[in-house]
Amino acid sequence: MRLLLVGALLLCAAAAVESKPPLDTLGIPPQDEAYYRGGVIKCRDGSGRFSQDQLNDDFCDCPDGTDEPGTSACPEAKFYCKNAGHTPVTIFSSRVNDGICDCCDGSDEYDSNVTCKNTCWEAGKAAREKLKKKVATYKNGVVIRKQEVERAKEAFAKDESELAKLKGEEKILQGLVDKLKEQKKLIEKAEEEERLKKEKEEKRIKEEAEKQAAVEKGAPDASWDVDSKETQDHVQEDENKVAEQHDGHATDHDNHVTESGASVEQHGSVSKDGISAEAGTVDELPQKESAASTLEKDLSSDNPEGLSREELGRMVASRWTGESVNEVSKDDKKGHKDEQEIPEPAEEALEDEIEIPEPAEESYGGYHSEVEDDRHKYEDEEFDHESEDEYVDDHDDHVESYRSDDNQKADHHSDLTEPGHASWLDKIQQTVQNVFQKFNFFKTPVDLSEASRVRKEYDDASSKLSKIQSKISSLAEKLKHDFGKDKEFYSFYDQCFETKEGKYTYKVCAYKKATQAEGHSSTNLGRWDKFEESYRVMHFSNGDKCWNGPDRSLKVRLRCGLSNELNDVDEPSRCEYVAVLSTPAVCVEDKLKELQNKLDAMSSKQPGHDEL
Amino acid sequence: MDPPPRRLAAPLLLLLLLLAAAFAAARAWKKDEFRNCNQTPFCKRARTRAPHSLEAPLSLAAGSLTVAPDGSISAELSHPSRPRPLVLRLSALPPHALRLQIDEDYSTATPPHRRFHVPDVLVPDLEARTLHLPEPKTAAGVSTVALSSDLDVVVKHDPFELTVRRAGSGDPVLSFNSHGLFDFEPMRESKPEDETWEEHFRSHTDKRPRGPQSITFDVSFYGADFVYGLPEHGSTSLALLPTRGPGVEESEPYRLFNLDVFEYLHESPFGLYGSIPFMIGHGDRASSGFFWLNAAEMQIDVLAPGWDGATAQENGQIDTLWMAEAGVVDAFFFVGSEPKDVIKQYISVTGTPSMPQQFATAYHQCRWNYRDEADVDGVDAGFDEHDIPYDVLWLDIEHTDGKRYFTWDRSAFPNPEEMQRKIADKGRKMVTIVDPHIKRDSSFHLHQEATDKGYYVKDANGNDFDGWCWPGSSSYPDMLNPEIREWWADKFSYENYKGSTPTLYIWNDMNEPSVFNGPEVTMPRDAMHYGDAEHRELHNAYGYYFHMATADGLLKRGEGKDRPFVLSRAFFAGSQRYGAVWTGDNSADWDHLKSSIPMVLTLGLTGLPFSGADVGGFFGNPEPDLLVRWYQVGAFYPFFRGHAHHDTKRREPWLFGERRTAIIREAIHMRYSLLPYFYTLFREASVNGIPVMRPLWLEFPDDKETYNNGEAFMVGPSLLAQGIYEEGQKSVSVYLPGKESWYDLRNGSPYKGSVTHKLQVLEDSIPSFQRAGTIVPRKDRFRRSSTQMVNDPYTLVIALNSSGAAEGELYVDDGKSYDYQQGAFIHRRFVFADNKLTSFNIAPDNLGKKFASDCVIERIIVLGLRSGAKKAIIEPGNQEVEIESGPISLRSGSSPVAPTIRRPNVRIADSWTIRIA
Repeated sequence: MRLLLVGALLLCAAAAVESKPPLDTLGIPPQDEAYYRGGVIKCRDGSGRFSQDQLNDDFCDCPDGTDEPGTSACPEAKFYCKNAGHTPVTIFSSRVNDGICDCCDGSDEYDSNVTCKNTCWEAGKAAREKLKKKVATYKNGVVIRKQEVERAKEAFAKDESELAKLKGEEKILQGLVDKLKEQKKLIEKAEEEERLKKEKEEKRIKEEAEKQAAVEKGAPDASWDVDSKETQDHVQEDENKVAEQHDGHATDHDNHVTESGASVEQHGSVSKDGISAEAGTVDELPQKESAASTLEKDLSSDNPEGLSREELGRMVASRWTGESVNEVSKDDKKGHKDEQEIPEPAEEALEDEIEIPEPAEESYGGYHSEVEDDRHKYEDEEFDHESEDEYVDDHDDHVESYRSDDNQKADHHSDLTEPGHASWLDKIQQTVQNVFQKFNFFKTPVDLSEASRVRKEYDDASSKLSKIQSKISSLAEKLKHDFGKDKEFYSFYDQCFETKEGKYTYKVCAYKKATQAEGHSSTNLGRWDKFEESYRVMHFSNGDKCWNGPDRSLKVRLRCGLSNELNDVDEPSRCEYVAVLSTPAVCVEDKLKELQNKLDAMSSKQPGHDEL
Repeated sequence: MDPPPRRLAAPLLLLLLLLAAAFAAARAWKKDEFRNCNQTPFCKRARTRAPHSLEAPLSLAAGSLTVAPDGSISAELSHPSRPRPLVLRLSALPPHALRLQIDEDYSTATPPHRRFHVPDVLVPDLEARTLHLPEPKTAAGVSTVALSSDLDVVVKHDPFELTVRRAGSGDPVLSFNSHGLFDFEPMRESKPEDETWEEHFRSHTDKRPRGPQSITFDVSFYGADFVYGLPEHGSTSLALLPTRGPGVEESEPYRLFNLDVFEYLHESPFGLYGSIPFMIGHGDRASSGFFWLNAAEMQIDVLAPGWDGATAQENGQIDTLWMAEAGVVDAFFFVGSEPKDVIKQYISVTGTPSMPQQFATAYHQCRWNYRDEADVDGVDAGFDEHDIPYDVLWLDIEHTDGKRYFTWDRSAFPNPEEMQRKIADKGRKMVTIVDPHIKRDSSFHLHQEATDKGYYVKDANGNDFDGWCWPGSSSYPDMLNPEIREWWADKFSYENYKGSTPTLYIWNDMNEPSVFNGPEVTMPRDAMHYGDAEHRELHNAYGYYFHMATADGLLKRGEGKDRPFVLSRAFFAGSQRYGAVWTGDNSADWDHLKSSIPMVLTLGLTGLPFSGADVGGFFGNPEPDLLVRWYQVGAFYPFFRGHAHHDTKRREPWLFGERRTAIIREAIHMRYSLLPYFYTLFREASVNGIPVMRPLWLEFPDDKETYNNGEAFMVGPSLLAQGIYEEGQKSVSVYLPGKESWYDLRNGSPYKGSVTHKLQVLEDSIPSFQRAGTIVPRKDRFRRSSTQMVNDPYTLVIALNSSGAAEGELYVDDGKSYDYQQGAFIHRRFVFADNKLTSFNIAPDNLGKKFASDCVIERIIVLGLRSGAKKAIIEPGNQEVEIESGPISLRSGSSPVAPTIRRPNVRIADSWTIRIA
């Protein structure tokens, strides 16, 4: 009987505890319990004070919610659930007794019409499992990342030394090219003199013949010859003016246009490049826009008879959708389609920048052709301009250093180049030396085979030089980028990540651009912009324009994973894309420690339970 | 109107110009695509006619005047040059309404077609309520009929003219044809050789096989300073400003023609999505109303004084000219002593607004489009993460399988039931869109069925009308036909609408109807409907019938127990019976924010209390500050929904930084705390049509200062708010009407009445006040949605007037069912006087069902109480409770400003008194 009573009492007490927890701790996190001790308690915002009786009395006395941590009375209050078995959480007071179980221990619904099961054990276990997995991923990821970082460092060093090597080679080659040019000039001058001499001789003979005739007829005219001679001198003094002096001289122009003369042409071609890009855009725009704009035009004029009923319907619909009037279906689920976009005028130039072909080769290859032709070939090369500038700047140094190092041969260059790699350079130098030694500048008539050899060597060397210069510029371009604190993103430079989502294939090339492809058509989602949120996000911006919307952009969120995998491409706002890339590059040790600590904390709160 | 030019990657002038042209073309309202009055023969004809210049003015044949057995008066109107007389009928509706009907005489074989009478708009018992009119007294070509003890109808015979006047003073109130502009083009059997009936507009031809049949007349409002009404037009003016006459430059009449207008102007008399041919005249001496039940295109001129060349200004008279393309005269004259009486009478003719469910009065979140289930989940979770309540998540057209309504794009929404259940678990609802255009796809069962049954509107050649809309080639069910409405309603059953659940409600869009390749983006006027009616005759009511059928569908689905929620874009007189409307595709600019207030107020005046504008503006990206201001204003709209076009950036309330998130949260919280007050106002509206959001003059009809105030507005009788409509505005002038003071809702500071106050503009709220003498019920605990607030305790905010008194009401029911119609509701009147607050029951006792609630009042704030009392005594029970100084709102940092009765915990269901000791 007595036992039964005690039992009943206990039961009552238990029931009471379950339905109405003690008011003096209800919703209060352990670290704050001290704050609530004492007879009179201050509102945290200083707006007033309240008595112990008013703590959790379901009436809001402090507008900031200090007095009601355990009820819904103050809108700004927060409720703490212990969630034994799982992680404690703090929830908005708006969740307290609202009929929805928010805390896994059910403590937020102590006075409502729902009964919440305590799910902390299961939820906690699941959460721990999840965290464990994450920790495991991080552990492996950290290792992979370390390796990546090592590799990146090596690769970076290699690229840097390659760059230095290339720069060294460039210097040498430049010297050779200069020298050969010098030679070539001399040869050409000699040839020219020879030719003139020959001409003179012929002329003299002819004149003499004519004289004889003229003796009978009248006076001679020798002024032309003098003119020609003067012009030639002029050309050599100031080559820049050559291009302007096209006025019908018999002199062979091509042979006289020198390096810096070509440079002038290039400057010209760069500006022309701008013009042609403009022209290209103008050509392109009406093509892409024509459907919409003609329809618009037709309709805004008073006579849209030209439109079929269907065209009219599509046209009007397109105002709301921004979609192409030519599309057959409006069923496009994600609204990805946007055929109407305005083309990006600078795109081609950019593509060149990214892919860095070997433009110099082509252009130098065409060096001997007509000036006009050269101009065309240079059109697309933005870089020539720059490299040419560099070349001009360094010109004197090169010549000087080359001279001083003249006899040191390859030994000197072994610092700059790895052994074995210098062989072609050695060869070239050797050949050039040979050429120099063999060629006798003062020998007349000019040895024709020698002359053509010099020309050939000159062509070879300049083509090689331009290749090197292009390599230098692409490598320098690469090394300019931000590869992360530990250069952990170094390997991203030459990689693209792809994923298929529905009918689209998304391709993300870090440091370059991102595209969305459907069949053969490809949409630029953005060009590389930068890392954001301390290397957690890759941002691509200024992609193809959306009709009636913004330029497309993409944010790729980086998540720790064991391999590089692109996933979850989405378009939450029109033309603003997001994606997730799993990569070991972001599996950082600090985060691993943090997760490990969290896991430890979670597990330690599971005395006995956890290991069962 | 053009947006600023976009940033361009290349500074190429030509490209820029091309782009600018493209955007200008794409973004501007296209004036050319809409017919103006000059391009509309009936309008041009009528508008250019001088007063009293009609060739064949109609006159009443004195001998034909008789009182019919049903108590109405009938007569014939004729002119010797007309082929046959017209039939006139006058009837009286209590208390102060007169109905005038004029139609052709169909007793002979001609005319060949019956003119269209708009069916199913007037309340069914109207005829039964008609009063028996006494025999008219005729003398000197004038007949007088006593309409009531204080109103007479005076009918002049030749030419016919009708005046409603006050019996005692003889002062006219309203008159018909006092300027001799009444013209009624008779229907003709066939087209004379020398006439062209066809009309052309742009690439469209209207065959007009029945020829001209327009009706024109003038109506004068006496004692009116302004006229109001005639939605829907973009306007920043609350009053209808003159459209013709001295001082008016070039202008169009107000056009009533339901159209889907792309990027409409915030200020234009051109017609938008809905039409209500109801006008209210108001001055400090009189209020009156005129309603013309006609669903054809209508053009109405508000004429500036002196328009007719008359130099003598008749005091306080406003003349108006009404022109319609077809139909009959079925006109109502409403006379009120107060403007509210006029609205009540209009409502007594067109029906009381439906009582919304509780959730529908809370906040709605919409976007074109929440794309898939994950998106829905994410947005739903976003609100919870930021502790912002919302009740309804909406899905626009992309949720369907290829714009086939009643279907789901299963790749994006594989489990719609599960999705709705998850939302419903938090007490929230969902809404999907169902438009009237049906995809012409033989594999689509709905299309197949409608085709087989012949349920589509026909084109002029009798084939199913085929127009272009979202799904491409589409046809439109003929909603005029009750049988087809019935069929349509059945499509909303759970069985027919796969993937729908009881917490799914409906949105009707594009029901003007919008036809992308039709004339003016709508259906050709010569399309044919049920009963041999031409589309021109019922155009403005098509959307109304569609709305009606959809609401009936939800009613059927819920077996008559669940109040439907259907939002419609198109509307007509009577739409209030079927649900909410909104102001359509507005734009994200400050002007549209500003015009939303006159637009919503006008809807309220014309019987549609449940309306709002898209918060944030549909087209374009609002500047964050504009979005914030829009939430602050929108929180007072009766229908409160955020919505956005699919080209816009995401704009869920938490996306604009913490500070702005907090301000928007505050605005939405304010709405939620006022939900008990709003619900009480919706109850009032559902009984007598008095709008929830009201022009100031509706509450202060004698205060001329208020007559054209479209920037400030009342919510119910107790609250006044003033929007902020300019970026970076530092100060604002707010006129507070009436003799009594006003209390700032944020800090309880008092402001004098009848004064324009220059106030500093605050970032975190718009100026809003509680009128002294009122009591506002609130719930100050915030929840995820209104569903979780049901059992939360109330706060009463009492603002005492100069005599220390105040009163207010609280209406509560289950928020969902129709049980309230059997008496299952709590309706209390709170009266504070002589330091004593009393709760009176004002619900009738004798109805069948009861609504039980254990809700209590946890806090009573008494603004303006001078007593320093520390205690209050509750009776019955003689229980003592504390009074202490408390803040007016529970926000961190708010300071105590008013005596607050702490935890009286009296039940709202009970009668009690609380005496301040």
